[in-house]
Amino acid sequence: MTTDLEERLAAKSKEVRVLQQVSSEINSTLNLEEIFGIVLRTMDELFGFHHSMILLLDASGETLSVAASRGYEGQPAGARVAVGTGLVGVVAKKRQLMRLGNLGRQRAYMSTIREQMEQAGRGSELGESPALPGLSDVESQIGIPLLIKDTLIGVFFVESVEQRVFSEGDEALITVVANQAASAIHNAKLYRAEAERRSELAEAHERLKQLNETLEDRVRERTLELYQTNRELRETQAQLLQSAKMAALGDLAAGVAHEINTPLGSIHSNADVSKRVAAVVRKALTDEALAPVFSKHPRLEQALEALEQATATTLVASDRIVRIVKSLGNFARLDEAERKKADLHEGIESTLTLLQYKLKHGIEVIRDFGEIPPMVCSPNRLNQVFMNLLVNSIQAIGERGTITIRTRLDGDHVVLQFADTGHGIPSENLERIFDPGFTTRGPGVGTGLGLAITYRIVEEHRGAIEVSSELGKGSEFTIRLPIRE
Amino acid sequence: METTPLPDEIKPVMENGVPADVVSCSAGGIPNTTIISQVYYVDRERVALSFQFFNKTVKNVRENPNACVLLNDPNGCATWILQVRYEHSETEGPVFDRMDMQIEAIASATGMTGIFKLKAADIYRVYSVRKVTFKPESTDQN
Repeated sequence: MTTDLEERLAAKSKEVRVLQQVSSEINSTLNLEEIFGIVLRTMDELFGFHHSMILLLDASGETLSVAASRGYEGQPAGARVAVGTGLVGVVAKKRQLMRLGNLGRQRAYMSTIREQMEQAGRGSELGESPALPGLSDVESQIGIPLLIKDTLIGVFFVESVEQRVFSEGDEALITVVANQAASAIHNAKLYRAEAERRSELAEAHERLKQLNETLEDRVRERTLELYQTNRELRETQAQLLQSAKMAALGDLAAGVAHEINTPLGSIHSNADVSKRVAAVVRKALTDEALAPVFSKHPRLEQALEALEQATATTLVASDRIVRIVKSLGNFARLDEAERKKADLHEGIESTLTLLQYKLKHGIEVIRDFGEIPPMVCSPNRLNQVFMNLLVNSIQAIGERGTITIRTRLDGDHVVLQFADTGHGIPSENLERIFDPGFTTRGPGVGTGLGLAITYRIVEEHRGAIEVSSELGKGSEFTIRLPIRE
Repeated sequence: METTPLPDEIKPVMENGVPADVVSCSAGGIPNTTIISQVYYVDRERVALSFQFFNKTVKNVRENPNACVLLNDPNGCATWILQVRYEHSETEGPVFDRMDMQIEAIASATGMTGIFKLKAADIYRVYSVRKVTFKPESTDQN
């Protein structure tokens, strides 16, 4: 009797130790797989349940899935059981612990009933036996619902191929472990859900951050595009304006040239006649036969000298007018195709001729021209470039100074440099001088389009323009143009 | 007729010993033997038998309430013989629910849902309990 009591006491002590251990282990982790392992191992050690599994209720509430198992071979994790089917399904449905025993004999009994029904012609009423996870030759089963308050989260299920007798004490102990397991599983699932939620939030935050960065980049790109579009628009407007002005100038030049050429021809022709007449008269003056006549009229000699001087002046002046009219025509190139092979020096000279009235006496123009071949270009467009640069230089110099024009060949590029000794450009303006509308001459004085048009024309020729300047000393614009298109 | 209390050791036999044999007798003295799937321990003086298919037993015990139940103990190599007397039938309540739950579990696992189901839990009072033990024959040749 004492020995029996001692054995029972020892068994109870062991149960308490195992329960304390399982409680401690379960509560020390939030990892679901670890919790499953602890529970299944404990059931094996405490009760000798070698075959056990934990099934969790799916989100639909209609099926349970095997989340973990112990003692089985070839049992697929994730196998499903419908609520209401088999011991597991009925435990889930009724939310009560349930045991089944002597299942081998039960199966034989059910088989007998099936045979009797088939013999009675009621075979069609019979259904197929569902495939359930677990042992095929099982004798004893017990299922315990895993509940959090009144909410089912799963079923703990054990079975044996042997006849097992479960005492009320066994049931109580299994229930204690199952309740602890349910609580731990619930907490772990909450923790996992929270971790997943945090992870999703972090991912969403990261996506938002990337979107913001992308958005900033896109805004920057769009702003740059808008800036460039705006710049192009202003350049186009400037070009249109300039083209209109050039067209008007061309018309005017053509009209003026036409109107001037006819009277100019008369003037030049008449001056030439006058020159030859004066020469005839001068020759007559040397004739001895006429000497007494001229000596009687001394003013005749003075008149002849005046005629000679006037004629010479008229011829010089008419020659100059001829050059100016020709330069006007050259500058506008009204009678020529848009692109052609042209001599850039000729364009520079024509521009200088037209600007002669502005150059005055105090501004010296130094031509440091190198050997450059004629190149295919838009001569009238390049003449605009020369005009803009030279006008700027003249304005920067004011009364006295020097404009140096250098040309040279650099590989397959022509280099043109326009340097002046003007007041120079402040460094803070250097980056903006090619921007359309940028001017330092004040409203109503400058349009701010000259250098923008210059930049655009050089770009059209696939060339480049650079500027260097020193305040108080002058500026230098360097243009590089490829010889071949 | 005096009742006999059921011993604790019969509880696991009821759990594991089913199906059980039930013998009843009509008012005219014609006996009937059948098998039932559930013998449920209600309390120390009563058991519940599952009423599923067998109208003959139901008819007999309503005419003659005395019956006999044979439970085989697969672990103990014994048969328990209970003399019982039919009292009433229950179609709801904790005893019915408990038995129904077990039958539903077995039926659903064997494709017998809708066929193998509990119609009623028939409550019987126990008048005698007898355990017949079978002593295995020795195989020792010496």
